[in-house]
Amino acid sequence: MLHRRQVLTLAAAAAAFVALPGAARVALAQASGDRATAFVKATGDKLVAVVNGPGSAAQKREELTRIIDQTVDVDGVGRFCLGRFWRTATPDQQKRYLALFHQVLVTSITSKLGEYQGVRFTVGRSRSQDEEEVVSTVVERPNNPPANVDWVIANPNSAPKIVDVIAEGTSLRLTQRSDYASFLAHNSSNVDALINAMQQQVASAG
Amino acid sequence: MPAVFRSPNPLSRIWHQVAVAGLLALSLAACATPPPADDPEAVADFKATNDPLEPTNRVFYAVNNGLDTVILRPAAQAYRFVVPGKVREGIHNVLSNLGTPVQLSNDMLEGKPRRAGDTTMRFLINSTVGVLGIFDVAKEWGYPNHDADFGMTLASWGVPEGPFLFLPVLGPSDPRDAVGFGVDIVQDPFTWVGQGAAVTALGWSRFALSAVDARERVLDSLDQIKKTALDPYATFRSLYRQHRHAQIEALRNDNRATIPVWFPQQAGPTGNGP
Repeated sequence: MLHRRQVLTLAAAAAAFVALPGAARVALAQASGDRATAFVKATGDKLVAVVNGPGSAAQKREELTRIIDQTVDVDGVGRFCLGRFWRTATPDQQKRYLALFHQVLVTSITSKLGEYQGVRFTVGRSRSQDEEEVVSTVVERPNNPPANVDWVIANPNSAPKIVDVIAEGTSLRLTQRSDYASFLAHNSSNVDALINAMQQQVASAG
Repeated sequence: MPAVFRSPNPLSRIWHQVAVAGLLALSLAACATPPPADDPEAVADFKATNDPLEPTNRVFYAVNNGLDTVILRPAAQAYRFVVPGKVREGIHNVLSNLGTPVQLSNDMLEGKPRRAGDTTMRFLINSTVGVLGIFDVAKEWGYPNHDADFGMTLASWGVPEGPFLFLPVLGPSDPRDAVGFGVDIVQDPFTWVGQGAAVTALGWSRFALSAVDARERVLDSLDQIKKTALDPYATFRSLYRQHRHAQIEALRNDNRATIPVWFPQQAGPTGNGP
């Protein structure tokens, strides 16, 4: 329960925000955009350094996993992708699902980037969308046409985390969610079946 | 017979047959069973998916996937293996330049003068300075490319997309885009120009090359999806729709002013012009 003083502070903060002159608020939005852009730049540089660097596939996977853990809201994305089935799943199923989802995400990102020695990316502009910042980048992989990739960043000011990657207008989490939804619709909404399928997928990707 | 009323070339007749076959198949279509009404969330999901012909669509997906595995994918792989990247880029640019008449027509039907201007400048610059479209010089000069087809035009007119369709040979679509595909062939001057063996051969070469070029550009992405998706059909359905929505959204948001920068600018409502 909120303390009286906390309530007062909150109210004062809210009043201050409302009273902020337009220019200052624009500056604030600008600042969160700059922070999000810097965050994407730093994260992208780290990813590219690993992908283009030396080291075996296993080593690269390990390093990419570490970066993804630090920069992506994996649990949040996982819950989103399970959609309405998250609520009907048992706590045990939720736990196993999230652990597997983690590996699926790493595998998916590794195989999207891992094989591309010489990947390059350029950070473009950012824009605000609800509470999130969307940072545009162009990713160039050898042998492939350049791709426009947008990174959706939650909490750009306090604890920035990647919550979605939008490649050429297609959202990673929406696509993953419809994949799982369709799988569940054809497997009598059985979350265990989904978990088994994910397990096989992770095992076969090695 | 007046030259204007020449019959379309054989290529479009083939497409006509494909379209008829598709319609026939649709009339024999099986329907997806909706979930029981006492599960409102499942019903909402079913409606949001908007794929009432799913069983039939999946059959065509399997057929197309088979054709792709034995024909198109190996062709695209061979194309990538044999032809250097720079040359592939040039070929892609030439094909894209050949598509500008249809693009321009759609830009105008969409009521987007700046897009129509971009397309016109791209055609003029790339066909000349860009050596028959091989080099995309116009992009460097400030006339970037954009997507335009009659499916998008219909969307900008407010026509809804309708249920998902997976068409034989053509792949993911919906009634709006299927109609758009047909109208774009009719709009294409190359459909109506010329007769004879050479024209037919050129038409087929363009068609085959376009297919291989388009497939080569998504080789890695499609392999990736087929490897990682639990239900590739559902994943392609989602990707196709998202991609179309993004294209249509970009079209709707493109409201640049129509006065070119080099022209004396009009004073805005708050401007301090003379």
